[in-house]
Amino acid sequence: MTQDDQTNTALHLDLYRMLVLIRRCQETIMNEYHPADEMRCPVHFCVGQEATPAALSLLMRPNDVVMSHHRSHGYYLAKGGSLDGLIAELYGKATGANGGLAGSQELSSHDVGFFSGTILSGMFAMATGAAFAQKYRASDGITVAVIGDGGMEEGIVFEALNLSAVFRLPILFVCENNIYSAHTRIDRRSLSETVSPRAAPFGVLTHILDGNDPILLARELAKILGHIRKNSAPAFVEVVTYRTCGHVGPENDDVLNYRPSEELLKWKERDPLAILRKTFLQSGIVGKDLEAIEKGINREILAAIKRAKEAPFPKIEDALRANWSNATAPVVGNISNSSDTSFRSGQAETRLAPY
Amino acid sequence: MNKSKPAAASNKVVNFGEAINMATRQAMELDESVFLYGLGADSPAGIFGSTKGLVDRFGSKRVFDTPVSEQALTAMAAGAANAGLRPILVHQRLDFMLYTMDQIVNWISLWHFKSSGRSRMPLTIRTIVGKGWGQGPQHAKSLHTWFAHVPGLKVVVPATPYDAKGLLLASIFSDDPVVFIEGRSLYAMKQEVPEAPYLVELGRALVRRPGKDVTIVAFGSMVPHALEAADLLAMEGPSAEVVDLRTLMPLDMETVCHSVARTRRLVVAEPGWRMFGAAAEIVAGVVENPKVSLVAPPKRVTWPHSHVPTSAPLEAAYYPDAKAILAACRATLA
Repeated sequence: MTQDDQTNTALHLDLYRMLVLIRRCQETIMNEYHPADEMRCPVHFCVGQEATPAALSLLMRPNDVVMSHHRSHGYYLAKGGSLDGLIAELYGKATGANGGLAGSQELSSHDVGFFSGTILSGMFAMATGAAFAQKYRASDGITVAVIGDGGMEEGIVFEALNLSAVFRLPILFVCENNIYSAHTRIDRRSLSETVSPRAAPFGVLTHILDGNDPILLARELAKILGHIRKNSAPAFVEVVTYRTCGHVGPENDDVLNYRPSEELLKWKERDPLAILRKTFLQSGIVGKDLEAIEKGINREILAAIKRAKEAPFPKIEDALRANWSNATAPVVGNISNSSDTSFRSGQAETRLAPY
Repeated sequence: MNKSKPAAASNKVVNFGEAINMATRQAMELDESVFLYGLGADSPAGIFGSTKGLVDRFGSKRVFDTPVSEQALTAMAAGAANAGLRPILVHQRLDFMLYTMDQIVNWISLWHFKSSGRSRMPLTIRTIVGKGWGQGPQHAKSLHTWFAHVPGLKVVVPATPYDAKGLLLASIFSDDPVVFIEGRSLYAMKQEVPEAPYLVELGRALVRRPGKDVTIVAFGSMVPHALEAADLLAMEGPSAEVVDLRTLMPLDMETVCHSVARTRRLVVAEPGWRMFGAAAEIVAGVVENPKVSLVAPPKRVTWPHSHVPTSAPLEAAYYPDAKAILAACRATLA
């Protein structure tokens, strides 16, 4: 094996670890969910869509920011969010990433630069502000905004694309086109099954990538991110992928017959973990090594679940107090308070001038 | 209350718009993370003078015009504030903010909450309520009640140049999201203000005029009318105490109740629609207070529960003024 091969193999193993972490995390939570019913919030699992966050996990830096939709566990973990924080948040515990106040749908971890929210397109748009701040401060960080094909139909998306180009923001827009918005297929919502052409008229560079090939994604996203970092300009990547689990919750919603079984089967055969495993055959990694990785990760996840179950709940008083920070900028210490009751008596509102 | 004045007591007579300009300029000098943007933010007219000259002083990195995309601009403010900058987003009319209610309510207002206090939104949204010269139903709304109703927001409504400057500085340097509502019709009002920066504390009402017979609680563009009504009432004998709320959220019911506990009569003058408005909240807060007992039913002086007509005589008939407040005071004294 050459040095390059060794480097590649090391990278591929990192990719694999992240894929396994995300996949096993999702599957374990799905198994734990019922009948215990101790995780009491809607969870949108990302089974089948792990390749993009795993690829990004190799490429994102601590001062990069990710803003994601609600199907976010992969991106949370990929950005370095704590497993304990994720699981405890689903259990609504005080030790959760958001102290139990956000649940799965609005998960965030400020310290690792990961944010999410469930109102479609909101995070896509807020990412323009994150990128603006990075540029304003001349930091070398960039922002990754993640959206689905459904979210792409909200109006603010077009405003945000325009803004990113006009202001030259260092932002990577990632659209996970899994062709379903909940149970509604894309052909019922749009005359085109491809979304990236919508970004091009605003002057944003667009790419369409296979969303299930982890190595391809790592390679291509590296180039695209490199371009963004160098030129402070936005890019839009459509990753074509598929959700093999249900839309929400651990239940399988295929009983609703909203998608053809052949389609689901075809995508199950394109499992990103299986695609990556195939490459290991060439590089001498044996099944036992991969099993060891999986065993270790399984142990971590189960331990996190145990800790989450034992953790305390937050208090309602703390939640009620969390609406305002009531904090002020440090500079306030240098400015005096002042008040003045004077008012020129008889000074009514003025008559407006014409415009 | 801290009533210290700046050491070098040099003052300047400015109007409401210039006071806002002064506060913005001083905030931007004090803190590099403050920036200002919005439709027309850097135009020579300077949004009725409130942003005039700022781009010349600070450059286009920190003062800039924008595409006509209020929603994305608000989302951008949120993302920048989350990153620790202090954006000031300006809307020339409050009506234009309605595009942005999703950003404000579904994201900005609850961001600190859902992060369990880890993340903040230190942003200020300046917005102007049109009045007069046929602004009409789409250019004259004041939805302060909507914003005050949403947990997580602060809502500031200055009535004088002095307060506009101090409250805007306090708003910009607050780590909470502030909706800063400016009455267009107050813009030409003049007052002497200290040249140096100063803060007017958020959430503190002010007794503008002491009195003993009836309390008039007012805010924003109703404050001048409340003071005029107090003058007119005084000519008939009774003295009205005028309380200027200055901030709607946090709401200073302590100052209000302290006043009404003495006068035992309440008139609330609100520059907004009648039903489910801020005046209703203040009346409820007074009536609920076991330490206050009224000797007459409270009165609300508000806009009618109607959109604003454009035709000039209708507009004049629509807006209540000092005479309406005077009539309400008389009713409580009858």
